[in-house]
Amino acid sequence: MSKIRVEGLKYRYPDMDSLVLDDLSFEVEKGAFIGIVGENTAGKSTLCYALTGLVPHFFKGAYGGNVLIDNIDVKQSEISDVTSKAGLVFDQPFSQMTGSKTTVYEEIAFGLENSGVEREEMRIRIDNSLRLMDIEHLQNKNPYDLSGGQMQRVAIASVLAMKPDVIVLDEPTSQLDPQGSDEVFQVIAKLAESGITIIMAEHKLEKLAEYASKILLLHKGKQIAYGSPKEVFSRDDILEYGIAPPVYVRIAKALKLKNKAGFYPITLDGLKQQWNVGDE
Amino acid sequence: MEPIHSYTDKKSYIDQIDPISKLLFAFVSIFITYLFSSIPITCFVLLISIVLLMVGRVLRKIVPLLAISFTLLLSIIIVQGLTHPTNEMPLLTLGTIVFYQEGLTFALLITLRVFNMLAAFGVLILTTKPDDLMESLMKQGMSPKISYVFLSVFQLIPQMRATLGKITDAQRSRGMETEGSLMIRIKAFFPLLGPAVLSSLNMTKERAIALEVRGFSSKGKKTFISEEKSYFYPKFVRCGLIILLIAAIVWRIVG
Amino acid sequence: MMAEINVRELHFSYYPDQEILKGINLHFKEKSAAIIGQNGAGKTTLVKLFKGLLKPVKGDVLINATNTKEITAAKLANQIGLVFQNPNDQIFKSNVIDEVKYGPLMIGFTEKEASIQADLALEAVGLRGLEQVNPYDLSLYERKMISIASILAMDTPIVIFDEPTMGQDSQGKERIKAIINRLRQEGKLVLSIIHDMDFAADVFERAIVMKDGQILLDGEPREIFAEVELLKEAYLEQPNVTRIGRELGAERVFLNEKELIDWLKIQHATLQ
Repeated sequence: MSKIRVEGLKYRYPDMDSLVLDDLSFEVEKGAFIGIVGENTAGKSTLCYALTGLVPHFFKGAYGGNVLIDNIDVKQSEISDVTSKAGLVFDQPFSQMTGSKTTVYEEIAFGLENSGVEREEMRIRIDNSLRLMDIEHLQNKNPYDLSGGQMQRVAIASVLAMKPDVIVLDEPTSQLDPQGSDEVFQVIAKLAESGITIIMAEHKLEKLAEYASKILLLHKGKQIAYGSPKEVFSRDDILEYGIAPPVYVRIAKALKLKNKAGFYPITLDGLKQQWNVGDE
Repeated sequence: MEPIHSYTDKKSYIDQIDPISKLLFAFVSIFITYLFSSIPITCFVLLISIVLLMVGRVLRKIVPLLAISFTLLLSIIIVQGLTHPTNEMPLLTLGTIVFYQEGLTFALLITLRVFNMLAAFGVLILTTKPDDLMESLMKQGMSPKISYVFLSVFQLIPQMRATLGKITDAQRSRGMETEGSLMIRIKAFFPLLGPAVLSSLNMTKERAIALEVRGFSSKGKKTFISEEKSYFYPKFVRCGLIILLIAAIVWRIVG
Repeated sequence: MMAEINVRELHFSYYPDQEILKGINLHFKEKSAAIIGQNGAGKTTLVKLFKGLLKPVKGDVLINATNTKEITAAKLANQIGLVFQNPNDQIFKSNVIDEVKYGPLMIGFTEKEASIQADLALEAVGLRGLEQVNPYDLSLYERKMISIASILAMDTPIVIFDEPTMGQDSQGKERIKAIINRLRQEGKLVLSIIHDMDFAADVFERAIVMKDGQILLDGEPREIFAEVELLKEAYLEQPNVTRIGRELGAERVFLNEKELIDWLKIQHATLQ
């Protein structure tokens, strides 16, 4: 059984004329790491909202089709029931902090308090999240005194403490420096390994190529491709959708270095290997 | 990054008072300044707020806020001094411009009331951990949403101050003069106020979405991570404040 | 048109015990420069000092022979433009065209000149047709483009960007590259704080690496990006193209894909 099933999803914001999501259908297996790619108007953020129930519960507008998580329809559920299953991390670390908490420890507790988790259980879960995100040393700091990368890890820890099966991330590294981005990618990869399903919209395609199990390519709200990173990034028409494939693909393409299956290498190691073998 | 939190733990006596009592204090104190249109009484009430701020070791934090509000109040003082309907006694003559005593007295009262309002709420906000205030309100039966809105209104002030600083920098970069005489500063201040409010509200909108995905509107029972704090005789303090309020009303009616 | 920045023994701190910049000496003229380094290295503080928004605690910053200590930031606006990292900290008008025209009008352009400048700037960032829209109805990456346009429109001899490519997709990056190249052709001095190493290597003529409030490296990108160990010390990596070249056995340092591909093609031909 699939973890998430999206069937003919269509959506339009209340004040807009055209569809932001136009007939999307795909399935996500448990523990998969899905990368959502596309240019800035592709509908990536909106899809993130639809997978976590913000669309249509917080953002109203015209909605069609279904999003099912564990076979339960998001549209028919309470938003808090959806978010306890599928947590969301935003691109701006700063505006994700609640503002009512004065320490990182309490900040992470916020979601648990809202869902009525007992104090003892809360402490266990917070300690766990702090450890997984490698931010134990920050637990007594004020969230607003942290760097962007640290704040983003606190935001992920806050979502993680809710024990969701799915974590959706909307360009979580776009505001971070290279070191901060690396840190975030590493912890997310660790979460995917532990069986949490990851769905991540991202511009850093080299990183997605390294970590993602599947890529969903969107263009103007339409689903163009859904497949392995090799398959999607090897498409000859990818530039037409405003996407520059990972640098390894671009170079392999220029040198016509495809493998037997007809794909370009998507990592540095893959490129090195293909370079030594030559074109097949 | 500019911190937007206004509270830091100073471990003073004021921190021992429960948040609801402080909230009650702010209301009683403001109410009294409106109950009696008297400058001495308003001064006295303001003095109490200031003493409390001093005990809480946060007086310095409120000074910039008082200064900003004073620049805004300046226009009221000038207008009332010149044109208040009961103006009779000339007090100050600058060339052909005459300021009257009645108008200036009235403007002074307004200024004192505004200062007291800021100082009294300052006691609440600057010496209370935001979370404790929210928890106390929720335990009094207020809905979490309203409690949070209440809290955000106060957060908006330091947040707006931070945003105002950044937007001012950006406009100085493009040639708006903000340095120099008071007049230049005031002239620069007003056009920037709107965008600062707008930008802060925009951020509040983003935050609302972020709260939503962390189960904020969940209808179930809530729990709290921090153990209940023990405060200095909350019932006693609250009763005292209510008695004071009733006494003031009675005095006003009788006297 | 003069475009020169001179920095002498520059020290800066917000609090006496926390020095953020520790004795910086730099000279900029003609060559466009990328300022790189980890968050907290002091990059943004440095460009705010160039702009006169902050004043040195010790040392001097001279913009075209004017000492920033002796002039207000507003009076420097016609010589040096700064695009802020976060567009929300910059935008303050309720429609796009007013926002873009604001700077030129403040530094003495006539209404007509300001309109022409604004049109050109909006064309350059690809936002023609959105003149009457409220910036807050646009997305963050579009607002970033507005903030860039509003500085371009001022036509200053020195232009500084703080993280221009942040949140931009590949088309946005190409657009910003074109803008920087055009400014350079016009003889302007362009500086940029940048996290994207491939962009830094590809676009700029000089690279300055900062670490803990000091200049760790300063020179031509080809020299700087060869210093793997020193870059690591500043928590930085080589650009992807440089790294790929090295891994595929090149001695040279490549600064863009074209260089790398050309070299690989020659290798490929000789192998066969």
